[in-house]
Amino acid sequence: MKAIFIVFNQAHTERVEYILDKLGIRGYSWWSEVKGRGSVDGEPRQGTHTWPEMNSALIAIVEEEKVKPLLERVKKVDEINREVGIRAFVWSINEMY
Amino acid sequence: MSIYKSAINRPITTFMIFTAVIVVGIYALIKMPVDLYPEIDPPYISVMTTYPGASALDIETNITKILEDALNTVDNVKEVTSTSTDNLSVITLKFNWGSNLDEATNQMRDVIDRVYDYMPEDVDRPTILKFNTSMMPIVFYAVTANESYPGLDKILEEKIINPLNRIDGVGSVSMIGAPKRIIYIEADPRRLDAYNLTIEQIGGIIASENLNMPSGNVKMGDMDYQLRIQGEFTDSRQLADLVVGNYNGIPIYLRDVAVVRDSLKDLSLDEKINGKTGLRMFVMKQSGANTVKVAREVNKNLNELKKTLPPDIQINQILDTSSFIKGAISNLSQTLIYAFIFVVLVILVFLGRWRATFIIALTIPVSLIVAFIYLFITDNSINVISLTSLSIAIGMVVDDAIVVLENITRHIERGSSPREAAIYATNEVWLAVIITTLVVVAVFFPLTLVGGMTGMMFNQLGWIVTITVVASTFAAISLTPMMSSRVLKLRKKEVKMKKFSYGRTIEPLLNKLDDFYAKTLTWVLRHKAFVLISLSIVFIASLFSLKFVGTDFMPQTDESRLSISMELQTGTRVEETMKTARKLENIIQEKFPEVELLNVSTGSDDEGGMFSLFIGSGSNIINVMMRLTHVDERERTVWDIADEMRDIVKAFPEVVTFNISTTGAGMGMGGESNVAIEIFGYDFNTTNRIAEEFRQRLSNMPEAKNIVVSRKNDKPELQVVLDREKMALHGLNSATVSTMIRNRVNGMIASRFKEEGEEYDIRIRLSEKYRNSITLLEELTIMNQQGKKIKLKEIGSIEEYWGPPSIQHKRKERIVTVSAIPNGISLSELAKKIIKLTDEVPVPQDVLVNVGGSYEDQQESFQDLMLLMLMSLILVFIVMASQFESFTMPFIIMFSIPFAFTGVMLALFITGSTLNIVAGLGAVLLIGIVVKNGIILVDFTNLMRDRGMRLYDAIVAAGRSRLRPVLMTALTTILGMVPLAFSTGEGSEIWRPMGITVIGGLVFSTIITMIIVPVMYGLMGRSGERNKIMKLRKQFNALDD
Repeated sequence: MKAIFIVFNQAHTERVEYILDKLGIRGYSWWSEVKGRGSVDGEPRQGTHTWPEMNSALIAIVEEEKVKPLLERVKKVDEINREVGIRAFVWSINEMY
Repeated sequence: MSIYKSAINRPITTFMIFTAVIVVGIYALIKMPVDLYPEIDPPYISVMTTYPGASALDIETNITKILEDALNTVDNVKEVTSTSTDNLSVITLKFNWGSNLDEATNQMRDVIDRVYDYMPEDVDRPTILKFNTSMMPIVFYAVTANESYPGLDKILEEKIINPLNRIDGVGSVSMIGAPKRIIYIEADPRRLDAYNLTIEQIGGIIASENLNMPSGNVKMGDMDYQLRIQGEFTDSRQLADLVVGNYNGIPIYLRDVAVVRDSLKDLSLDEKINGKTGLRMFVMKQSGANTVKVAREVNKNLNELKKTLPPDIQINQILDTSSFIKGAISNLSQTLIYAFIFVVLVILVFLGRWRATFIIALTIPVSLIVAFIYLFITDNSINVISLTSLSIAIGMVVDDAIVVLENITRHIERGSSPREAAIYATNEVWLAVIITTLVVVAVFFPLTLVGGMTGMMFNQLGWIVTITVVASTFAAISLTPMMSSRVLKLRKKEVKMKKFSYGRTIEPLLNKLDDFYAKTLTWVLRHKAFVLISLSIVFIASLFSLKFVGTDFMPQTDESRLSISMELQTGTRVEETMKTARKLENIIQEKFPEVELLNVSTGSDDEGGMFSLFIGSGSNIINVMMRLTHVDERERTVWDIADEMRDIVKAFPEVVTFNISTTGAGMGMGGESNVAIEIFGYDFNTTNRIAEEFRQRLSNMPEAKNIVVSRKNDKPELQVVLDREKMALHGLNSATVSTMIRNRVNGMIASRFKEEGEEYDIRIRLSEKYRNSITLLEELTIMNQQGKKIKLKEIGSIEEYWGPPSIQHKRKERIVTVSAIPNGISLSELAKKIIKLTDEVPVPQDVLVNVGGSYEDQQESFQDLMLLMLMSLILVFIVMASQFESFTMPFIIMFSIPFAFTGVMLALFITGSTLNIVAGLGAVLLIGIVVKNGIILVDFTNLMRDRGMRLYDAIVAAGRSRLRPVLMTALTTILGMVPLAFSTGEGSEIWRPMGITVIGGLVFSTIITMIIVPVMYGLMGRSGERNKIMKLRKQFNALDD
């Protein structure tokens, strides 16, 4: 099992939902308003007057075989427009209840 | 859940809500009356008191003074003015605007009750009159007739007036100058004396002969009969054969001592319409009725009814107040449509997208229609003010939608789906949108608090703009995102653009403009001192131009109507006055082909009723009403014509004073503004002398015309001075003698002759040739109770003296006013000259001279306007300071406001217009727009700074990116005003000044704002949000290595 953490501009919400559905990922936890800033050049998302946009984030624990198609799709979404921004991070799950 | 999210997720509900608003709005629009101005209750209440037989002086001391003192205690009274004339005292109380007049009326009634007992016995109970705009007649007709003239009264009453009265909304229909049938019995005093008869005896006999009397019931057989005596005359000729006495056993018939004339009432009012005999008929509407609709119905019905009249009776319309209203309203509606088209075009040019333009344009009707709902709920009408307000609002309601739509488009172009773009883009800007709306509201809301006559105009404007702008903001964060999520789509990047496509024509141009502006800004920022100094010079120079721009009160309108009121020497007989009237009539018909209808009425009608309150009348007065051809069909304006007529009338030696006015039904609004010198003082001779002095000096002043002195010349009167001792010897008293004299001269109404349900007076008096000189009057026979005949000269004498025909009071003091209207200069300039004049003329100590008139109103209104501006500025400052959380930012923006006025002054100077209330209103409006532009610029510069740009870079970048929105806002407003500024139709004079000020002010101030705001920002805005964070972080320096 792998944990996949996706942080994305709110404007990508519908696309992300679509991806999850398509890949049959049922379980996830979702933070709809998350602040953030890109490590290299990504604009801050702070929901303030200066930086009005906001990110959302979700974490899902998926089978290993779903990680690759998921990342591929995330990349596709990111390529539509890099300014908008979406990132996915994956790490292993050691134990589960 | 936020509004925009719900709106996007439930598009049908959103759509339905707005459809509901539109449906209700259209219903309101159909149901609403159309009028020229909002209906207002002017805060005036009059008290009329009659005291038969008293002279002006008696009335003044016995009635007016008592009432004035008492009424002055009523709450909220601002000013008490009064006129005391023979038999009548009229006191007018002016209240503060917005006072409760019902309560005031009750209080007045109480006060009058309290003092009524202190007044002379014969005084009739005072009547309280409240004025309302709806009391003015709405349609005037001239009726002319040849053969049918003697019976015109009755024919009209039956065939026209009664049916017209049945129309819904018609208050009343009345006639002026209608011929009245009357039966005169004119006696020969010598014969009366010879037969020992008196007028009173004959009167008594006629009254007792002209009688029907039921005399009980008679039972005969099975029947019960009523017994009646039918003594009433069935024919006026029967009167002549009446036996009035017996002399030596021979019966004396009425024909032996008098002549019976069944005829028309003696001439006191002469009506000529286009030179033909006739009368005037006028229609008043009920309060709250739709003027345009009532006038239309009346005209339609009248055309039908005309067919039933004898062919020689002609009915012509002299004046239809509704036609001006209709013209003005349709003109404004057109303006509104043009404004709409212009606004849409501007959006299209700047956005270059049909769909986006459609979405934004949709907010216009939605928000404007909300204004109609407001008007409907508050019982208002569609009028010039409300429509002008709408055309002002039209350029502003799109702004919010533009901001929202721009952001949504940006998101879509970044690849978001329209639905998400709509939600998140709206989320980003909705607060900013609401704050800019608050600024506009801060400017316009104070307008709703203004009082006075200006308040009447401004309140509606304030409410309408506030409401439409708020509605537009609501639409911008609900309807606009919803529509965007449905209608907008990602534009494909066209590889090959068509030759005339947007991307190859307009867009490069706009880009060039952006570049040019960015370059200018860079230069300007490096030469801040130079720019500031030169702009200050421009501003100071414009302050000097204030000298050349005069100020006025209200703009004047060409309503194609003219009226002249001329006064001959007081006491002139109506027959003589008529000669002058005929002379004038001929000249007018000859020299002024523009006069379509000419109505001349000479003398007075004692039964003019309400109408005589508005127009003075008397045997020496000529009133002329003229209707001119339509504005477009003539070369001379109504003012040119008035000036020429003034020269003509001036040449008449017999005319003492005259007044030519170009106002119609505007109830003093849009009319001629005058300056009045008010002379307070008790002594008639002194004040008259001073008034004459001013009149002379004003006549020599070429800048003043239409000089009118309010106090009429003393009029000659004959006074019978009775000797009480001598009367007592004959067993007579003043009461019996004066009644007898009245019966002989004025006549005694003995009885009434009935025919076909109408009653006509039978009036008995001496034949005129026996009562037309002092000697003859002295020969009048008075009979005492013993039947002894006494000549009037035995018990008294007749003296000639002069008395004032009327006495006016203001603030309980006697007053004479000398008023003039400006000739070729502005009201303020004339006022300045007149104030100088009042310093030159020496006045005794007990006389007070004051300059007032419309000038006073103007001063008051300007003060109101200044206060209003101040309040707007404070409110705007409050909103801005809290928006930016800073005291410097509002200052940066407010630096552009003075230049708005520079623009206004320049525009007025160039077009040669004067600064009047309407132009002042335009100036207030400018504050809103200029500040809004400033906010857009500063806000974005702040944003750039906070995002880490350096000061100058941020300013240039912000300027470059905000140029288009600012230009759009300015252009939509400017182009929305263009139709107002250039319209020439009916009523356009009212709003043209506003168009000129707004366009001039906006063009200039937009350009200046785009320069001064960045420069000021460069000077004052050194510490941005970034510096604040730096400061905060200094506290944590210890955490560093």
